[in-house]
Amino acid sequence: MSGIHHFVPVLHRGDAVGRHTLRLREATRARGFPSEIFVDTVDDDTASETVPVLSYADMAQPGDVVVYQFATASAMAPWLAGRSEVLVVNYHNVTPPELMAPWDNHLALGQLRAQGDLRLLAARTTLAVADSAYNEAHLAAAGFGATAVISPSAALEATDVTGTREPDAALRRGTHWLAVGRVSPNKALEATIAALAVARAHGESDAWLQLIGKPATDSYVAALHRYVAELGLADVVQFAGHASDATVEAAYAHADVLVVTSEHEGFCVPVVEAMAAGVPVVAFDQGAVPEVLGGAGVLVSDKDPYALAAAIAALRRDGPRRNAVIAAGRQRLAALELGSAADRFVDLLVPLATLATTSS
Amino acid sequence: MSAGPPPTGDAHHAGEQGETDLPLPEDQARAAEALREAFSRLSPQGSDAWNFLAAFTHLGDRYGPYHPGASALSDSLAAGRSVDRRPGPLDRLRPRRERAGRAPEGEKTDLEEAMGHVVEAFRFLSARVETLEGRLAAEDRPVDDAAWLVPARPLGPVAGPVAAHLLARTPGGVMLHADCGEGDLLRVLHERGAQAHGVEPRGAVALRAIEHGRSVTIAEASEYMASRAEGSVGGVVLSGVVDRLPLHALLPLLARSRRVLRRGAPLVVLAEPAATVDSRDAAARDLVDGRPLHEATWELLLQRAGFVEVAPLSDGTGEDRRIALTAVAPS
Repeated sequence: MSGIHHFVPVLHRGDAVGRHTLRLREATRARGFPSEIFVDTVDDDTASETVPVLSYADMAQPGDVVVYQFATASAMAPWLAGRSEVLVVNYHNVTPPELMAPWDNHLALGQLRAQGDLRLLAARTTLAVADSAYNEAHLAAAGFGATAVISPSAALEATDVTGTREPDAALRRGTHWLAVGRVSPNKALEATIAALAVARAHGESDAWLQLIGKPATDSYVAALHRYVAELGLADVVQFAGHASDATVEAAYAHADVLVVTSEHEGFCVPVVEAMAAGVPVVAFDQGAVPEVLGGAGVLVSDKDPYALAAAIAALRRDGPRRNAVIAAGRQRLAALELGSAADRFVDLLVPLATLATTSS
Repeated sequence: MSAGPPPTGDAHHAGEQGETDLPLPEDQARAAEALREAFSRLSPQGSDAWNFLAAFTHLGDRYGPYHPGASALSDSLAAGRSVDRRPGPLDRLRPRRERAGRAPEGEKTDLEEAMGHVVEAFRFLSARVETLEGRLAAEDRPVDDAAWLVPARPLGPVAGPVAAHLLARTPGGVMLHADCGEGDLLRVLHERGAQAHGVEPRGAVALRAIEHGRSVTIAEASEYMASRAEGSVGGVVLSGVVDRLPLHALLPLLARSRRVLRRGAPLVVLAEPAATVDSRDAAARDLVDGRPLHEATWELLLQRAGFVEVAPLSDGTGEDRRIALTAVAPS
């Protein structure tokens, strides 16, 4: 029987694409289709969930639909482009290499290759699904024809930030700025740090910043540490690194604001996590963040530390406005319908599978 | 321990209304730009968009496997090529006469094209080495927050005599003060019609100086001077920085000061006496390599760095008790 199979270079249980892929497989199987996750590099932690990609050549059935999770460069892209199955690309964004190049050329080169992979797949793809309209525009620019937008299905799976929570008593007092996500140049965390320096010099002397996220490249993290030291903020910026779900949950429970200064985001999962946790979001008006926020946050159009610091201070001081932003966040979260995203994704795949089976 | 900035800034220079008042928009814009520059300076690749590593990786990418050792798929495909004896990527490097077909007239052969990439790689390598050399030369920093551990004393009443000396001796051009703190000297120089720029590694302090209308770069003096053109400065004042750098870093700092100074331009060194340095707290004494030098030692250092007319500041420093020496970049 023909199936709908999912392809991802490597399946990490801890990352958003990995969790999303697992969800899609379950949703596909729930519709009665055979469905496996094929990987190029086997992760020991998820080996029982995956099948080595080279096995697919023997398992392929006429009428199969293959869904490729695209977030990095991979040999899978040209390999899938050379096969005959109906191909669906699920695009999670590629960071522009120019943002990474000053920090890590290897990573930048990988991003450059990923851009090439995307163009290669464009002509071969029956349907491309993006996380956001922002990402969909990238697909159109790369030459994809049929496209759709569906939010990542597992955006809120990493951390259960909803419900009743107790903040971690060990977290310090003062206005708690929180930034969550990979510590990567495209996140422009230096802009958050610069704004913190400005805020502390102008009436927000108890503000402190917690950065939670896995480092993308050591050089960038080292520079952030040095920047923090130079600005005299070593005592008020906490680099929490890759944190457990419990730590992230406690951080959201305690935080006064989620600050997002990313220059490039294809979706920005922390924004929806903050909405779920009742933490207001203050962000630069960049990438997919305004789209995901949907008006339920504070956008700073000028990438200026003074403007950002002023926006955060104004929100902290205006209780009713802050409560309105939080309430709007919860409404926006409901409107995103993340819970049904996997099913809606499979809704798009089923007709393709039916058509492919008929044609074969 | 004295680490960490004071929590609040001085009153706003325009409004004098208190700590929450923001500076003038143009000062905000300059401060924001200074903060951005301070961070971009920390990127390891400098201004090079791509370095030699990328160029070589590019070569490997063109002529080697996709993800060697990491991708079962690409390893398998590479193995398949060798068994089938089909042309592989490295075959492109063989002379065309050994293969079917020749390069069309006017086009490069694959070998010529490959050599072009090698040349490109060496060009990147050269640029990268230059960047690294510049950065290594400026790496004499004991700990990241040394400037906070041993904060520079404001010039206060010394600013007047120092400014007078500079203005009397300068052949023209911008005056440079490192570490400028909140810009006492810059203000005095500015009031007397001179163009003055400060260098201050303590970002929050620099921010206050900029918000008060001063022109300041957030950087270590050595790093900043390495980026300035030779003979582009009409006078240099070194204070603060000379109290925290180890001896082996003071010599390059003086050499760089001499390089950026115009011929005949003055240098002023303001160093803390031993008594002041001895009063530092334990952490500062342990973590910061700077140690007090006698006035005679400073004279010797300045002479060895090629300065002439080394002498005490004529007006002295009075109750301030700092060592104040002047010198001149040779004509």
